Amino acid sequence: MASKHTFDAIVVGGGPSGSAAALTMARAGLKTILIERGRFVGAKNFFGGVMYTHALADVLPDFWERKPPFERPVTEQGYWMLSPDSVVRIMHKSEHYKQEPAEAHTVLRALFDPWLAEQAVSAGALLITKTTVTHILQDAKGRVIGVRTDRPDGEIFAPIVVIAEGVNNLLTQKLGLIKNDLPPRFVALAVKEYISLPAKDIQARFGLSGPNEGAAIDIFGDATLGLPGTAFLYTDRNGLSIGVGLLLEEFVTHKLRPYEVLARFKNHPVIQPYLEGGKPLEYGAHLIPETGYNRMPKLSAAGVMVVGDAAGMVDAVHREGTNLAMTAGRLAGTTAVAAHQANDFSATFLKQYRQSLEESFVLKDMKQYRRMTDFLDSSPHFMGTYANFLNDAALRYFTAHGIPKRDMEKQIVGLLQERRSFFGIAQDMVKLLRAMRG
Amino acid sequence: MKNDQKHQPLNPDLKATLPTVNVNDLVVSIKYYVDEEFAHIQVREHTICTTCAPKPCLDFCPVHVFTQDGQGRIMVGYQACVECGSCRIGCPPHNIDWQLPQGGYGVAYKFG
Repeated sequence: MASKHTFDAIVVGGGPSGSAAALTMARAGLKTILIERGRFVGAKNFFGGVMYTHALADVLPDFWERKPPFERPVTEQGYWMLSPDSVVRIMHKSEHYKQEPAEAHTVLRALFDPWLAEQAVSAGALLITKTTVTHILQDAKGRVIGVRTDRPDGEIFAPIVVIAEGVNNLLTQKLGLIKNDLPPRFVALAVKEYISLPAKDIQARFGLSGPNEGAAIDIFGDATLGLPGTAFLYTDRNGLSIGVGLLLEEFVTHKLRPYEVLARFKNHPVIQPYLEGGKPLEYGAHLIPETGYNRMPKLSAAGVMVVGDAAGMVDAVHREGTNLAMTAGRLAGTTAVAAHQANDFSATFLKQYRQSLEESFVLKDMKQYRRMTDFLDSSPHFMGTYANFLNDAALRYFTAHGIPKRDMEKQIVGLLQERRSFFGIAQDMVKLLRAMRG
Repeated sequence: MKNDQKHQPLNPDLKATLPTVNVNDLVVSIKYYVDEEFAHIQVREHTICTTCAPKPCLDFCPVHVFTQDGQGRIMVGYQACVECGSCRIGCPPHNIDWQLPQGGYGVAYKFG
């Protein structure tokens, strides 16, 4: 039965990885269809979020002229270590960050993702929204040959399917590219509010000289009740993105309500003044795959490749994800183009996709940080213990008590030892070093 | 030796610092296109829920989709679901049937 719905390539999902794949293939002349289940592209997408432009530039060298809907360039970034009543800040601000276009920008995904999909459409891809892919179609030999959607007469055929379905990778699971669903210890649940605030207030509060400067702050310690996770506070053009994420297992084990953890963080005496007078415009939640290099799905099989969150492509250490996703989308697209040229869609040929990822930062970084989730999982005390210690130590250090400084130094050492044994500290540091160095 | 504090209960004093939040005040900020015909998340087998003592779904769902009726039966208010997937993964007996809503339905973030 011949179908009129036949393409050179199908992309499932209109996030950054899917649009990058569709754009790459359409530009090379492949008849490409991009299928999005949301009412519009971006409707389902949600992140912190900071986006890194290097991966976008690789997909779209003239992206800056196409006026992407960025919020603010990130010109100051760093870490805040919160205790219940204090903060130690490690921030980096540099003229270096002010080059145009900046390397990192804050972004709102319901605005950015449709823009990127539009670029794929202007390169020739066909975009259909409001369409959920329910099955991946395979021939008798198990080769992927198309998809079934929830539309009437909804089968679409192509020799290449790029799965960019996101963190809830049900199609990837159904295909057997990964054995199980993600366990709750290898996935983070993050909740965020977008709070509107006049630009001049944002600039005054964060010490920014104008709308061409922005801050991205990752926050540890009391923000997550000391549990494994991070919080964040990012400046958008006319608002703030504030959120908190913990490994899902922590929410499950401790029966925590994500919105209460977020409200507690927003009420923190250090945080609250930044939000004062702001109007909450949107709340939302999303999972982040902390899958790690060793538990990623198989990235390709005959006729199919998996990209982005669906493949667990996240570097939690540097809060990177969309740049890994866009790079993977581009490399999957390049592989699909080569497969069409060779007229070879076999599992063996499509292994080129993984090889090109291994040569890129995507799998190199994921491999380096492959122990990070296990580290946080096996050292759940880490964030809280050291964030509180830093704040207590800073208080001793910066206060004149009329006691000799030598005694003050001993007190600081004592503060650490009452929290953690010498052996425990040594073990934490060795494990952290291993997780960072790879 | 305080080596592995994994799964030690949270200090009750710390847990007491969590404020009470009316989640409906947050959910009203979210745009949805509700499919009244199709509940995309459902409890597979209600009898299994009775064997689950902690029922963490009542707490960890970020939009409080799961509630209990007078008899203690788990109710699913799927209309407020933001399709994060936490319940499918986090339900201890894996008793949530989780599907994607039909195309065009469900959450539609305005900012994201």
